Amino acid sequence: MNNPYLPIPVTIKKITIENEARDIKTFDLEFNAKEDVEKFKYICGQFAEVSVLGIGESPIGIASSPMDEDLLQFTVKKYATGMVTSALHNLCPGDMIGVRGPYGNGFPVKEFEGSNLVIIGGGFAFTTLRSLIRYILHEKNRARFKDITVLYGARSPGELIYKSELNQWGERDNIKVYLTVDRGDESWNGRVGLVPNVLKDISPSSKNSVALICGPLIMVKYTMLPIMDLGFKPDKIFFSLEMRMKCGIGKCGRCNIGPKYVCKDGPVFTYKELQELPQEY
Amino acid sequence: MEKEKLKIIKKNDVLKFLDSLQKEYEVFMPVERNGDIQFSKFSSEKDFPWNYRNTKISPKEIFFPQSETLFSFKAEESALSSGSMIFKPEDEPEDSISENKNYLIFGIRPCDTLAFSLLDKLFGGDDFQDTYYMEKRSKATVISLACNKPQVTCFCTSLKGRPDNEEGADIILFDIGENILVRPITKKGEKFIESLSSWFEDAKEADIKKKNEIMVQSFQKIRSTADIQNIKEKLDKAFDISFWNEIHQKCLGCGICTYLCPTCYCFNITDEIERTAGSSTSSGGKRIRCWDSCMFSLFTMHASGHNPRPSYKERMRQRIMHKFNYCPENFKEIFCIGCGRCVRNCPVNLDLREMLILLMSFEEIKEDEKV
Repeated sequence: MNNPYLPIPVTIKKITIENEARDIKTFDLEFNAKEDVEKFKYICGQFAEVSVLGIGESPIGIASSPMDEDLLQFTVKKYATGMVTSALHNLCPGDMIGVRGPYGNGFPVKEFEGSNLVIIGGGFAFTTLRSLIRYILHEKNRARFKDITVLYGARSPGELIYKSELNQWGERDNIKVYLTVDRGDESWNGRVGLVPNVLKDISPSSKNSVALICGPLIMVKYTMLPIMDLGFKPDKIFFSLEMRMKCGIGKCGRCNIGPKYVCKDGPVFTYKELQELPQEY
Repeated sequence: MEKEKLKIIKKNDVLKFLDSLQKEYEVFMPVERNGDIQFSKFSSEKDFPWNYRNTKISPKEIFFPQSETLFSFKAEESALSSGSMIFKPEDEPEDSISENKNYLIFGIRPCDTLAFSLLDKLFGGDDFQDTYYMEKRSKATVISLACNKPQVTCFCTSLKGRPDNEEGADIILFDIGENILVRPITKKGEKFIESLSSWFEDAKEADIKKKNEIMVQSFQKIRSTADIQNIKEKLDKAFDISFWNEIHQKCLGCGICTYLCPTCYCFNITDEIERTAGSSTSSGGKRIRCWDSCMFSLFTMHASGHNPRPSYKERMRQRIMHKFNYCPENFKEIFCIGCGRCVRNCPVNLDLREMLILLMSFEEIKEDEKV
């Protein structure tokens, strides 16, 4: 029997500090054993239990794209109360950690083919959306999707993550990127405004479109009004949810919303699915 | 079951019988310890407590221990010198109970074997198998003992249970006085009896008659009932009813109902590091799985501080919904066997039977009808 609780050993190759507050870092990982790469074939929107042995495990969304060969990335925000995230932030390249996974349903990427995508992210919750964008922008995939509109906001310019990548995307003509911050600074000459308001301004068409929304609960809540006004149907609006987890495989009993387990049945749910579940998140 | 498959074994021979099986099996039986009965490894000094009602702690702990090592790990020299705590998982998880023996669970109550059959659905599962539970479970032969004297808190017949339930066991025994009537349930149970045939005799007509009489009496002794037909459907529309505002108010959140419950399976996973005195670095550690409880606020608390189940209300609702609505949805089974452990042991006498009866008859009062 395959033991689902054993982590696969990986080594940290590179650590990138993503924000001004220095509490969000991206970890580039490499599998210690080449054969483990095959065992860890993932799709956009899935997550893994990231393990610092001696400290514990934490469920983290996969930030790299399945098209990124030999690269597995996680972007981790450190919380003062988070033992694993704090331990991760103290590590250096060369250190060894563990990953279990990939877990969760991920984004139904096949279903998105032939549609326009409106991708809305806020703050640090942009990680699995970034995986999806990287996947779609890959030269082998781009033709299968129609217009891509990305709206990404953060509290301040220093808190936007994946900055160099955002700039690269901004220079391409096959993706529209709108960045916004709650408050600007002297270096910022871009948009200032909350994500729901900017969404109203840019008003992407809902015709043949799907919307993907990831961000803080309050942002998601207030984005629902304009997104519904734009005519997006509940089964065309996708969220990726977070919940406290331990096992990641639907056994330990804590991440459920009604009878659905965020680890196994999610983390990606449509608005239609969420409407049918109890409001407990 | 044809008559010829029913056997008897002399009550006086049972301890000798179990003793003889120790070479091949890790034998577990109910043993009295400080006034409580608990499943323990067989000891020839202890008598089999034929009149025991049930154990305080559920025998789920045999397959799903309260605390269990998932695997151990060692520190790597190179990592230690860099000042960070990096460990390398050892290849083989250690077996927390025994070497490579099979298990024999002897004298377990039929409600608790029913609980095994429920836990099998969770830990088995068609996507991920819980290797720790499944390995122990597959190594076990389960021999249950039908209930002659149900307790006042027993309400198994309101659920799927019976004093002579067979689900989850390989063999069921009936205490008929001097002798024990033995009925195989599964192929495994039949083979077990065949391979040890010298201990058994064929049952006589009179033995079977006696067993039937005792079982009729036993059924009659279960006075406590909770009519929960269609409880899943009732709960489908009950997430937001005002019932939950009141029902939890006595609850202290101690979690004993979930710890003693034979079907509660929620668990936590944590790391423990080993450190020798005087040394600031660690040589290794273990990843541990232990029972957790939906009655605790930390169970669902996010690192950000957000908690989707912040008060006793949401947590009590989760406990009832999980057992009587979510599990029926996911496993087509109610995860309660009516053993009454939660009723007997609650420090504030919260009675699950009463809660269920109240729930079944609960009608939401409309705003304009309120006094």
